[in-house]
Amino acid sequence: MMAANNYFGFTHGGTQYGAATASAAYGGQTGYAVAPAATAATYGTQRAAATGYDTAYQAAAATQGNLHAAHAHAHAAAAAASAYDASKSAYYQQAAAAYPTAAPPQPQPAYDTTAKPAYSTPATYAQQYGQGGARGSGGAKPAYGSVYTATTAAASYPSQPYTAPAAQPAKPLYNAASMYVAQQKTGGGGGWKNYNKSGVGATPQRRPKPQPKAQQLHYCDVCRISCAGPQTYKEHLEGQKHKKKEAAVKVAAAGGAAGARACGASALRCELCDVTCTGADAYAAHVRGIKHQKVVKLHTMLGKPIPSTEPTKLTPAKKTVAGAPKVSFVASGGLSTVGASSSVPRPADKEDEKVEEEDEPEVQPVGQDYIEEIRGDDGKALSFNCKLCDCKFNDPNAKEMHMKGRRHRLQYKKKVQPDLEVKVKPSMHQRKLAEAKAQRMLVRDELWARRRMHEAGEDDERAYWEGADWWRGPHHHHHHQGMGMGYGPVGRRPETSDDRHVLAKHAEIYPPEQQLQEIQRAVSHTEKALKSLSDALADHARPKNQAGKAVIKTEDKKDDKPEGKEDGRDNQLFSFVGEGEAAPASGDGAGAGGAGGAPVGGPGVRALKGVMRVGLLAKGLLLRGDRDVRLVVLCHDRPTVTLLKRVANDLPHHLNKVKGPNEDAKYKVELQPAEGAVQVSDGTVNVVVSLTSAVMREPAEGGDIKRDDKDVLPRQKCLDALAALRHAKWFQARAASLQSCVIIIRIMRDLCRRIPNWTPLNPYAMELLVSGVMQSASGALSPGEALRRVMEALAGGLILEHGPGLRDPCEKELVDALGNMPAQKREDLTASAQQFLRQIAFRQINKVLDMEPLPKVKHASGGWKFPRKRRRSNTDADQDTHNGDGKVVKTEEKADVSEINSNAKK
Amino acid sequence: MVRGAGRGGRGIPGRGGMGRPPFSRPRVLMLRPPFDLILAEPAFPRCKPAPDDAALTQALLKRHAELCPTPTEQSAVLSIVTKLQTVLDNLVVAPGDFAACQLEEVRQVGSYKKGTMMAGKNVADIVVIMKTLPTKEAVEGLSNKVNEELNKLMRAEGLGNVSSTCHERGFTVTAATAAVRVLVTTLHQNLRKLEPEVHLDYKVISSHLAAIRHSRWFEENAHHSSIKVLIRLLRDMCARHSGLEPLTPWMIDLLAHHCIMNNPARQALPINVAFRRSLSLLAGGLFLPGCAGLPDPCEAAHSRAHTALDLAAQDHAAATAQTLLRVVARGGHRYVLGLQAFEGGKDISTEITVWDGVVVSPLAPAYHDSPEPMDTEDKDDDGIQDGVAA
Repeated sequence: MMAANNYFGFTHGGTQYGAATASAAYGGQTGYAVAPAATAATYGTQRAAATGYDTAYQAAAATQGNLHAAHAHAHAAAAAASAYDASKSAYYQQAAAAYPTAAPPQPQPAYDTTAKPAYSTPATYAQQYGQGGARGSGGAKPAYGSVYTATTAAASYPSQPYTAPAAQPAKPLYNAASMYVAQQKTGGGGGWKNYNKSGVGATPQRRPKPQPKAQQLHYCDVCRISCAGPQTYKEHLEGQKHKKKEAAVKVAAAGGAAGARACGASALRCELCDVTCTGADAYAAHVRGIKHQKVVKLHTMLGKPIPSTEPTKLTPAKKTVAGAPKVSFVASGGLSTVGASSSVPRPADKEDEKVEEEDEPEVQPVGQDYIEEIRGDDGKALSFNCKLCDCKFNDPNAKEMHMKGRRHRLQYKKKVQPDLEVKVKPSMHQRKLAEAKAQRMLVRDELWARRRMHEAGEDDERAYWEGADWWRGPHHHHHHQGMGMGYGPVGRRPETSDDRHVLAKHAEIYPPEQQLQEIQRAVSHTEKALKSLSDALADHARPKNQAGKAVIKTEDKKDDKPEGKEDGRDNQLFSFVGEGEAAPASGDGAGAGGAGGAPVGGPGVRALKGVMRVGLLAKGLLLRGDRDVRLVVLCHDRPTVTLLKRVANDLPHHLNKVKGPNEDAKYKVELQPAEGAVQVSDGTVNVVVSLTSAVMREPAEGGDIKRDDKDVLPRQKCLDALAALRHAKWFQARAASLQSCVIIIRIMRDLCRRIPNWTPLNPYAMELLVSGVMQSASGALSPGEALRRVMEALAGGLILEHGPGLRDPCEKELVDALGNMPAQKREDLTASAQQFLRQIAFRQINKVLDMEPLPKVKHASGGWKFPRKRRRSNTDADQDTHNGDGKVVKTEEKADVSEINSNAKK
Repeated sequence: MVRGAGRGGRGIPGRGGMGRPPFSRPRVLMLRPPFDLILAEPAFPRCKPAPDDAALTQALLKRHAELCPTPTEQSAVLSIVTKLQTVLDNLVVAPGDFAACQLEEVRQVGSYKKGTMMAGKNVADIVVIMKTLPTKEAVEGLSNKVNEELNKLMRAEGLGNVSSTCHERGFTVTAATAAVRVLVTTLHQNLRKLEPEVHLDYKVISSHLAAIRHSRWFEENAHHSSIKVLIRLLRDMCARHSGLEPLTPWMIDLLAHHCIMNNPARQALPINVAFRRSLSLLAGGLFLPGCAGLPDPCEAAHSRAHTALDLAAQDHAAATAQTLLRVVARGGHRYVLGLQAFEGGKDISTEITVWDGVVVSPLAPAYHDSPEPMDTEDKDDDGIQDGVAA
């Protein structure tokens, strides 16, 4: 699981098709992965920004583009430091944790040796990384080792997204980044970004950044602390302290160095802790202090670069301290997050301050006489009392500092020596306040965006837990750590009989690997063929004078593609627009977006802009036996029957072109004008490709009716396809990340297929219902609990007439996704759910799921007598043999003898 | 904060070598509260116009007016309770030659005390805490003494005689228009000394002590009049539907309090909303095994109010509420509330009904008393056990 997290695409494969068996093969294909690609935001639906999610994020939109660019740069190890200011440390952290060895200029000697072999193959990389991590955290090795071996993840590494960067670190990512930036513009103010929970494309961008350590350490990069578990981490992130820090970082980053550095000329900085000390003494005290030590320890453990204490003084009292070590840190920080956001902008600034500082004499301590020592019996100074200021210190250092301090000097001036010069402090506090105020609006917006991002982070994490085996898998150990400390809702609980039944049923309805592969292949071929078709159409449409250039570009693109995205397997929009033409097209697109989406018929515009998987395929809800999947192609203009026919005619040719020579799939393309679609079928799998366009959403009335109105595909079909796009986006952003949600939706799909009373519940409404029910739970639910909760909601009359209805989040207006359900159907469905609920309550969940009751787990009822570790040792014994077995046996001698024997054998 | 990481860094994370396993009692059953639409509102924003509940509200208020005791009834009860309280107080303060038992304290409890009396049920409850052990003779002696003293008082005021009859909970003093149940209990420390043959039943005694706690809790937490209105309505509804009959007044009190007060705003909900909510919670399995139900504030930590019901009763109650919920949703609240008798007094929760062409049918029980007992021990009556662990 650990490794899977490194390769996010794989994780999601595992997530959505959670069963452990399938995930390995599936990950190779990355078929259902929600890995984001830089192109995610291209989807320029011209919707005015007014749907549920968008309001708060608009402001952040502008910065995001920047940010992602910077982020990608970091990956590519391009050291353009200036680009980093706007970036957020959270990003860097993940980047660093994930690809510590991928960054060529290795900041850490510890990694150097392991780094080189790591490039050879992805698999080795993973192992190396595991060791590296273990080394970094000193002694953690067995833990990680077991995690890796247990998951056999190494075998499935050759997933596309990762290999490419490993082979060619810089270029593809850079391209992707620039492309993304361009497309951010294309997207304009509206569009899909609004559906991402973190607003503005943030989610897809961060997704690929694995957080391998996140589960283990819950490291807060802003505050540089680790939390014991997701719950505490979450609480921390919501806490005031964190928010303050975050805001401060924000101010520092956004307001340039001035804001943050305003604090006094003699300030010293501890880069590691991001703490500014007012003087050398304070700094020394900080370095000695426990807080600093903790951070050092933590960073060692995380394998993060630790700047050596001395040289990292930012504005040392003496200007002799060279900038060199500092610079090196900046570089590493850029790559690996530590203090990146705050440290980078500083160098120039620092120079100024250093110059200033030269003139400043070292403050001499005054008023030594007024400090009395309080000695213990043995004559040792126990504490000091400053009579002037009426305060006490236990530490001689503190005393020294106090004597140099401003307050003391003021007192001294007042009471002893009126002519003492006390430097009028550039009241940094007040200045800070003022600045903070000035920036508050900005910060607030940012905070919102960031909060979303954190939520997204948690979602990622939850997604990790969501795999079908999350509570029993070997990765569970680290879950343990938190247990002793009030773990919260995610805490492990014994797997109940309900859980086992639901999981067994889930395994039963989960599509077999072969079926998934078939679907995957057909869809992938179709997508590639569509891309190829789009290229052909674009070349054809291009005016002659651009033709030469276009050819070159196309070739470029072909070179790049394999490293980037070659089909829509990440379930994001697979844009046909290449990098080369992105810039001009985006200009047009942005204009179009701003003008409310009036189609701009520029010469370079492609007729087919991109394709995206929708429906079951995109949501990962395919069940055993599902053969029909849907793709939606976004057209630049209103899709016409002519275009559809053209697609239908040309597609077979392109299909043959894209499919490998040794693949013998025969594709049949069928025109379905009434549906506004073509169907590609290879005998077993039917891929329905619908054509639509964002332009279709505009009201067709007025004088602007297209001349070829009759030729345009049926409007309703196009709108349906657009809605399907939104639903898929919604699902990926909202539902897929909820604990148990996808499992339960699959179970419910099965239920709706089996039971007539449930059939009227349309799939989308069911997804909304389930995700709402999960969302409203206070914590993560195990599958059994989740199913029961869904039944509770229905049994409680949620969908009866007086209920609130199911608000469709993908529509601007208030739309009840279940609005058209007749009363009798609601009644029957409710009655059925009520019966099911009581059956679940009375241990007859097998009747609900239509399966044989599973045998009871041994000791299920008396399980509490045995320490939990014992039970686990039965399932994965080889990890457990080293320790405590004898003890376990001893404590349970009174228990089942055969049990002990079986255990001993292991 | 770093502790978690530190532990993770050690050889075998969270396993072995740590001295003590992370859970000393791994089998802590953390039960979940059921789905509650009022609390889940953020996840289900209303997207269609709120239903016109004026009819339901009117019906609820009308029925409540019918259920409220009339002023005459109230004064009759008040009069006898006051007198009885005087008599008992005298016995506490100056027992005189009364030697059958010693009284520690006298407290009013139950619906009279809570202000939730129903019309036609003019029975007040008073708990008498005895210092001595509550033998059956002591109860009889007390009954006779009270009868005698009370009759003196009544005669002084020129009122009719009262009679007193003993039963297993204590005795009941009956006057012409009202009655008072005197419930006998004893001090906590005496509970252990009780013997089934000689004394009153242990369960009865402790339930009387619980009644005192309930009254106090109610006084402190549930004095809002909406709660009292809802309690009357629910008690009436439960009394008229066989499946809901086993619900005790205390469960209904807790349910009503939960429905009225437990919402994000902590403001009392309108009566129609609260009534629907109570039905929907019951239908949603609030009182089913495996659900957190309502925590009993007057018992040891984490015990659940509904575990007093047996499994069959829990099933039946939920099924009845589920049917009633659907009947109310179809506009059948007049029958459910008892404003209108259903086909000559039949229980609507067991009949198939048709509303505007929509058929509402009752549900079959899910619980079967199977010869091989269902594996319900961890879902069943484990309130106390879990309470200790959690």
